[in-house]
This record gives sequence, C-alpha cells and structure tokens, in this order.
Amino acid sequence: MSAVPTEGAVDVAALRRWIDAFAGDVAEHQEELTRLDSAIGDADHGSNLARGMKAVLAALDSERPATAGALLKRTGMTLVSTVGGASGPLYGTFFLRMGTAAGEVESLDTAALGAALRAGVGGIVARGKSELGDKTMYDALAPAVDAYDAAGDEVGAALRAASDAADRGRDATIPLQARKGRASYLGERSVGHQDPGATSAALLLGAAARTLG
Amino acid sequence: MVSSPVGLVVVSHSRPLAAAAVALAREMAPAGLLIEVAAGIDGPDGPAFGTDAVAIAAAIAAADRGSGVVVLMDLGSAVLSAELALDLLEDPDQRDRVLLCPAPLVEGLVVAAVAAAGGVGRAEVAAEATGALAAKVSQLAVEPDGVEPGGVEAPPVPPPRHPGGGAGAEPGADLEAGAASDAAAAGQRRAGERRAQERAAAVFVVTNPHGLHARPAARLVALVRRLSAATHCELRLRNRSTGSQWVPAGSMARVAVVGAEAGHEVEIEATGDGARAAVDAVLELAGRHFDEPVEAPAPTPAPPAPAPVDAPPRVLPGAPGIGVGPARGLGPPPVTVPDDPPDDPGTERARLDRALADVAVAITASRDAAARDLGPTEAAIFDAHLLLLEDPELAGRTRTAVDAGASAARAWADAVEGGATALEALPDPYLAARGADVRAVGEQVLRALLAAPGGQEGGLPEPGGGGDGGERVVLVAADLTPAQAAGLDPARVAGVVLAGGSPTAHAALLLRARGVPAVMGAGPGVLDVPDGTALALDGTTGELVVDPSPERLTALRERAAAGARRERAAGERAGEPARTRDDVHVLVGVNVGSRADAEAAAGADLVGLVRTEFLFLDRDRAPDVDEQVAAYRGVAEALDGRRITLRTLDVGGDKPLPYLPLPREANPFLGVRGIRLAGPHPALLREQLLAAVRVAHETPVSLMFPMVAALEELLAARRELDAVIAAEGRGAPAGLQVGIMVEVPAAALKAAAFVPHVDFLSIGTNDLTQYALAAERGNPAVAALADPLDPGVLRLVDAVCRAAEGRALVAVCGEAAGEEVAARLLVGLGVRELSVVPPLVAATKQVVRELDAGAAALAAAGALTADSAAAVRAAAADRPRSSGKPRC
Ligand SMILES: Nc1ncnc2c1ncn2[C@@H]1O[C@H](COP(=O)(O)OP(=O)(O)OP(=O)(O)O)[C@@H](O)[C@H]1O
Ligand SMILES: [Mg+2]
Repeated sequence: MSAVPTEGAVDVAALRRWIDAFAGDVAEHQEELTRLDSAIGDADHGSNLARGMKAVLAALDSERPATAGALLKRTGMTLVSTVGGASGPLYGTFFLRMGTAAGEVESLDTAALGAALRAGVGGIVARGKSELGDKTMYDALAPAVDAYDAAGDEVGAALRAASDAADRGRDATIPLQARKGRASYLGERSVGHQDPGATSAALLLGAAARTLG
Repeated sequence: MVSSPVGLVVVSHSRPLAAAAVALAREMAPAGLLIEVAAGIDGPDGPAFGTDAVAIAAAIAAADRGSGVVVLMDLGSAVLSAELALDLLEDPDQRDRVLLCPAPLVEGLVVAAVAAAGGVGRAEVAAEATGALAAKVSQLAVEPDGVEPGGVEAPPVPPPRHPGGGAGAEPGADLEAGAASDAAAAGQRRAGERRAQERAAAVFVVTNPHGLHARPAARLVALVRRLSAATHCELRLRNRSTGSQWVPAGSMARVAVVGAEAGHEVEIEATGDGARAAVDAVLELAGRHFDEPVEAPAPTPAPPAPAPVDAPPRVLPGAPGIGVGPARGLGPPPVTVPDDPPDDPGTERARLDRALADVAVAITASRDAAARDLGPTEAAIFDAHLLLLEDPELAGRTRTAVDAGASAARAWADAVEGGATALEALPDPYLAARGADVRAVGEQVLRALLAAPGGQEGGLPEPGGGGDGGERVVLVAADLTPAQAAGLDPARVAGVVLAGGSPTAHAALLLRARGVPAVMGAGPGVLDVPDGTALALDGTTGELVVDPSPERLTALRERAAAGARRERAAGERAGEPARTRDDVHVLVGVNVGSRADAEAAAGADLVGLVRTEFLFLDRDRAPDVDEQVAAYRGVAEALDGRRITLRTLDVGGDKPLPYLPLPREANPFLGVRGIRLAGPHPALLREQLLAAVRVAHETPVSLMFPMVAALEELLAARRELDAVIAAEGRGAPAGLQVGIMVEVPAAALKAAAFVPHVDFLSIGTNDLTQYALAAERGNPAVAALADPLDPGVLRLVDAVCRAAEGRALVAVCGEAAGEEVAARLLVGLGVRELSVVPPLVAATKQVVRELDAGAAALAAAGALTADSAAAVRAAAADRPRSSGKPRC
C-alpha cells in the first residue's frame, strides 16, 4: 500500500468526514434510537451512542491521528470507555479491529477498505458471539460487507451497495426474536420491533456511503 | 509458600450497586482482601449506568498481587466489556491470571470473598462463587421435606420463579412466597418417582485446630456439591455442640454460619439415592481433617467416626471396565535354572533356537496387536524386544557357552544377567533403564527353554489348575512387563491390580487395548492379599475393593451392566455427532497409522492424525509423491471422504531410516526430529507437502507439522507450502487447513504467537507430558511421573486453549483424548476435538454426550490448581462419570 493517495482511494481526511457524519446522524436520530431501545431494551442506545460519538470527536480533534489505523483505533478506544452499553465494546471492537486491519497507512483502496470493514465486523462477532438472525447490529453489518465485496472495484458503488444491504438487514430484524443482548430477556415479546443496534449500524454504513464514495 | 490472596473485581452498570455489594461481602471477609470496583460511567451530567472496558482493565491490574483476579459482573455489556478488558491489559501474562466468573454478582461476590480470604486459588474461588447460585437453588427447593435435587453444580441455573411471588429482594421472602405451593406440587411429583427415600446420618468431630474455617469448609462444600451434582442426594448438616440449625451442606456461606470449632460435634445427614455412600465420603474427608495439616489432632471425645466398611484404598485407573473375581498372585516366582546336567551341545543349541523362535513369534504377535490397537509408537517397545533376541551380547554369548558344554538355560540366564547388569551400571539413565527390557525378554525365553508356564502370560496359572473351577481371576502383581500385559487373556482374567505401575506405562496401554480392566498404584500391601480373596475393581474410576460386601458387589455388577449398556448405546450412535448436554459440539476423530486403521474407525468425524510414518518405515527409499498421494487418498476413502489430518514425517535419530541419514545423538528425543528434519532434508518435506496439496484438491485435508518449538519453524514450513501451491498452479485447495502439533512445552506457552498462522493446534499429550515432566513413559522407573493429568501438563493445555479461544480449533490427539477422565477435563479446558484410537471412537463420543461442558469447565479449573495428578484423579473419581444419572 502506498502513501500516495490513489484514484478513488479513501484517505485519512475522508475517514474523518465519515466519523463526523456518523456522529451527526447519531445526534439527529438519537431520539429514534432510544425509542427503539425503549421497546425492547433499556432506552439508552441513542444517548449511549451520542455520548460516545461526542467524546470521539473531541478525542480526534485533540489528537489529529495521521494514519487510517490510528484514527480508527482512537475512535474505538474512545467508544469502549464512554458508551457504557453493549454497543460500546461492540462498536469499540469494530473500530479497533478495523484500525488494526487498515494499518499505519494514509489511504485505503477499495479492497483494503473492504478488508478492514470485514475485520471490524469479525470483531463484533468475536466479542458478541452473535449469529445471523439473533436480531442484533450484526444482522445489518453482515449483509453490508458481503454486498460491498460483491459490488466490484469502485469504492463509491461498493459503499452504496453496502448501505442498501444494511438498510435491508435492519428492516429484516423486525420479525425476529432477539437472542442476544437485553432484548433477549423479552423472548417472544421482542418480535415486531426493529433492533436499535441494527438501526445505528445502518446509519454507520449510510454515513460511509455519503462521505467515502 | 505463602502467596497473597486472589484479588476480586466487581463490574456493574451501577456504582452504588457495586459499592453496596462490596460492603455486604466485606462483612464476611477480613480486611486486606483486595476488591476493586469498575462500575458506572462518567456522563456529562455525572455518573450514569454503564460499563467501561478501560476502567475494568485498570481495576484488574490494581487487584492482581500475583495470585490473579476473579472478576464478577452483572449483565449485558458488563460481560462484553470485561472480555474486552482482557485484551486491553498491558501485561499480557496477566491475562492468564484473570478468570471471568459466571456467578450471579451478589451471591458470587460474597462467596468469592470468603473463599479468597481462605487462601484458595483463583479457579477454586471462581468455582465456589459459581456454586453460590446452586446453593441458592438448592436452598429454595430443599425445605420442608427434601424436595428438588439441590447442589446443582456449575452452569448458572436461573433460580426457580415462584408463581405469584415477585422477585423478592430477600431470599427469605422468596422462600415464603413460593415454597409452600412448590413443595406441595413437588411432593406429589416425587411420591410417584421415588417411594422410599434412602437416608443416612453420622456425626463427626471437628479436629482442625481452627474449626471449620473457610478453607476446610470450602473443601467440605466442594465435595458435597460434587456428590449432589452426581447423585440425587441432598446433604445438610448442623452443629450438635451448639445446637445450630440444619443448613444445606453445599452452601459455603451457610456452612460457615454453624460456627463449628475444634472439638465440636457436627451431624451430617443425607437423603436420597446413595445417601449412605455420600455420608461415608464426607466422613472420609473429615477423617483427613478436610485435607488440612493438623499437628496435634484433638482428642476424640465422641465415638470414632465409623469408617466405611469398604473403605477403598486410593488407586489409579489403569484400564477401563469393572472386574470381579478371586485374587490370584502373579506366579510362579522368577524361574530358577535347575542344575540338570546339560544334553549334548547340538541338542542344547536346537533347544535355544526353538525357544528364541517361539518367543520371536509371540513377541511379533504382541507387536502386531499393539501396532494395530495403539499405533507404531507404542508397538516400538516390542521391536526393541525382538532385536534383543538376536543381540550378540545375549544369543551370541549363549551359543558360545553352549558350545563349551553349558546347558542352554544356564548359558542364557548368565548372559541375560550379565547384559542387564552391564546396562544397569551405565550412567545414562535412559540406557540403564533398558536393563529392565533385557530382563523381561530374558525371562520370557527362559520360560520357553524350561517349558515353564507363562511364557506369554507371565505365569498366569492355567484355568482350573488352581482350584478356581475356571472362574475368571483378578491378577495381582507388582507390575507387568509389556509382553505379560499383551498376552493376558480376557477370557481368563477378569481384571488386573498392580501394586506399582502407572496409567501411562506400556502395560496400561496394552491392557486397555486388550480390554482387561485394571487399576494401578495400589501399593505393596496389595501383594499380601491371599489368593482366592474376593476382589472387585473399577478401572474407569480407579477403585479397588477387597472382600466386598454383597451390596457393594451388586452395586459394582450393576455398574458393570450399565457400562455394557452404555457401550452398546455408544456403538449404535457412533456415527452421530457428539454434542455435550449443553450443546457444545466436540469433534471426535481417529488416529490412524494405515489404511486398515482407517477402515476400522467406524463413526469418526474425521481422521485427527495420520501417522504418515507408516509409509516411510521398513523400506530402502522414500515413497515418491505418487505413492504418497495414493496412500493418503486411500485413508480418506476409508473415511468416506471425511477430513484427514496429515502429520508430516515424525521420525528422529532413535529410529533412523536407511535413506535418511541422521547423526547419532545422545538424546534423540531432544534432537533432530519432526519439523526439524526440514532443515537437513528439505526435499522430503517438499514432496510430502506436494502430495498433501494434490490430495487436498480432491478431499478435505488438514496438514500439521510435528515438534514445532519456534514460530520461525512454522513460518518456514508455511512458506514452503505456499511455494508448493504456487508451483502446482491450481491455487490453494479450498479445504486445506494448516496446524501444528503442540508437543513442546514452550510452544504451548507461546501458543498465542502461533495462533494467527494456523487453523488449528493439535496437542500431542504423550510427548507434551514426557517433555513437560522430563520423564519418559517407556522407562518404568519414571513412568509414573509422566501422567498427562499432572496439573503442570493441564496448565499447558489450558494455555493453548486460552490463546486459541475463538480463533483456532484446539485438538488433542494423544492417548489422553481416549481416557475418560482426561477427556472430560480436556473438553472443560476448551479442547473441541478429541482424536483417539479406532476402538475408542464410539465410547469417546458417548463420554462427550454425557458431559456438561459448563460443569466440565469448572472441574477443569479446579484441576489446574490441584497439586498433583493423583489429586486430579481423586477429584474426578469423587464425581462419577455420568453425572446425569443418580448414583452415589
Ligand atoms: N451480543 C451481542 N452481539 C451483537 N450485538 C449486540 C449484542 N448485544 C447487544 N447487541 C446490540 O446492541 C444493541 C443495544 O445497545 P445498547 O448500547 O443499548 O446496549 P444495552 O443493551 O443497553 O447494554 P447493557 O447490557 O449494558 O444495558 C442491541 O440493539 C444489539 O443490536
Ligand atoms: Mg440499551
């Protein structure tokens, strides 16, 4: 991987725009996320993530990481200690693994970004032991990375495909019964509600499609 | 050695909750116990609910004073953050000292604090804490007429929800709300299930100078939980001297409350199946002062605790199964050479040649049987014996003496004595121990020469000859030579009791292969048991009963019948996957050394080990690639195309191949062998990799490298593999997986370094044990040391499992995988593939099915901190194998 930005490559500044956009989306949808979490959880997903992303922006402002790996890892470490809920260690691990996979480079090409996303999602699985259909954020993320890989070499198209797949994955959580996280305590009563984590995961991919493509 | 107590960390969403839980626990434990809190998060408007992995990592670091840390968590993200915190620890070694405990937070913390203050290790602290929930479950169900089986061990069982009773904040409230209705319902249920409740009670006097304080109480509670988990009996106790309440004996906190001091009389009562045996087990523990050293035992004012009549001497399981029959000492005594005048040299020479030939036939038969049942490594002992028959030192000298006019017997006996003595005088202990082999072969030939009985069976009297009317006997001996063990006839020998011996010695392996139940390490006293005394042994659990009572006999016979049923059931289900009761899938593979082995491996999920040596031995040149491809393909075909695990050539200087010149080494087992051959003989490895890759294009193949000690060895082999794949030009075969054998202790401890580069790690417990304990199991003088259940070895296995957790499969392809007690512990440690000899595949699957992986994990955690292999086996024996069935 070269330090010279190549055509269609995602550089550190673009990644920063992604994080900013995600933070903005979370703030905008904070109420919605919390409302979803109040139906099948403890009504804190929106405020958890909003708090965490605010802390991430502050950390990135003060530290200004120079490589993709450093930026993503800083994001992960901050989430780990500020979100408080299950999404903290989960998104935290996502960004930490993504950062490790990206490495100390200044930009990522389509394949490298795809590999990093996949590594991040792998981290969520390793941490949460979730499987497809458990009604979690993984249900949005798994189809997203698959769609990304299937979409070809153009990073914008790949991210748009990923974002669309994440939206569909999010919607598909509605009829599911939760088998992980707090919602699983509700058993059958979790059916019929959209999973808050899958909703925020779709926001994450949506922000990526807008800023990295 | 005084070590600091285990530290505790409390992880909770709520800071006030954590603080209150700690205060509650501190009431039970002395100051000085380290309890750190990581709870809540700092929000913009002050503290908020939540957990913080960074804060947890810091708390762990602060709580660890070298003895490690047990972490108790509440729910959800508390668990995820705690797991993440392990990854964040700055000191990577610390990770291995941290246990995340599944106990419920409040109960767990209280019990953990008591246990930690009592000075027990972290695994036991965690096990105690986890048991706290079981104690609660049992408590809520036990009153008033001993209902539900209590003392459920390990996997956290959600407390029963009482109809109408809310989640009472106090156990007492809960009990009152629900017990009456539950008890009525349960009572009805039970009336149909069990008519007569067995009940037993006894009194013991506390002899520990400080009474039943935390440590002995922990021992007692642990035993009671094991008994309760394995049986359907309920144990409770009270302090007679103070007139205390009855309390459930499986509850640490409750037992502590009866305030049993030195000299107090404690009454123990059991209800349910096996109550008598349970009480006896507790009395036995009390008789051992709860395993606490007691300098001056307090005088016993009360009548001495009645010793159980059949008190079993502690013996080791040698070969599984139950044997009952009259004792028969191994006779006759060593053959003596009569002073008969010799015949002419020609006749004597012919006599010698015939004896040598007969014994050669017998040893060859033993070798073939051992090779078939156990693999070439185990059969090697017989190759050594065959070579001795032709050794010029023995046969040559004998012939010279015969030609000079001595009798063949006299000449042979002298030659053997001379040869053995010379070997035994050598400073190299390995060679010195070979003297025993010379004597063993010497005696076998001498018996043949003198036509003394027992040339093969080691002096076992002919059936009926001893007045036993042909009844199968239980053979009692100091030890058995491999030839004696291999020659035993299960039709005449119901079981074997060895005063010495070790479960890992060749004799044990061969007895297992012969299907003769055996116990070992019974001590020299057993040799004094008069012939004809009734003996009963259980070689699975390691029990020996001299002159058993009729009840005991019946119980054992029932156990034997149950074992036979179990074996049948296992056989019928051999082809099904093996899942534990809590649904953990464990692969059961087979170890093969030939295509014929593979054909005998009914039901195996895969071949966990192909000893490719079988292709390379006994020939003048290495097999070429095509021949290897054909052979490996044959193994895969025999298993219907299931995955085969090819181990690259594993030979060393102890067994040089004609086409593979290896320098003579003083310690071939520490020399150039396994993957180390790749250096001097790169072409050999390359061709084997090429053959493996070609087969892997047709059928799923795993490839593993033996004797890996350093990461660079693996990386070099992988580079070679990549080069071979590139040269083939067909891309990497889809199903090809790569792993290493973990046999070198350093590799086990460094497993984390290998994990990113492998799909699986296969632990060769035989070699790992030998290397870890510096004891060769073929050397009878030290074989007893080489026990794979030595806690030191288990810790190495644990290190591998922890490093690989979730990232690579951990397999065991050593002998231990097929030993029931070991298999249970291995699964408990995280091993997810057991690869065994063909005859054990079905039974091993059944062992897995009867296992609860959660409970096994706890037992394994306890085994890690045991102080000896014997203690590990004793703990396992306290917990009968099929803990699902009632039995005491
Ligand atoms: N084990 C898991 N694997 C994957 N995703 C999970 C898991 N557990 C929870 N989640 C996701 O996290 C989301 C909830 O996040 P949130 O921040 O609200 O955590 P929480 O449930 O409140 O955590 P806590 O257990 O600390 O209360 C769920 O909607 C789900 O998508
Ligand atoms: Mg929540």
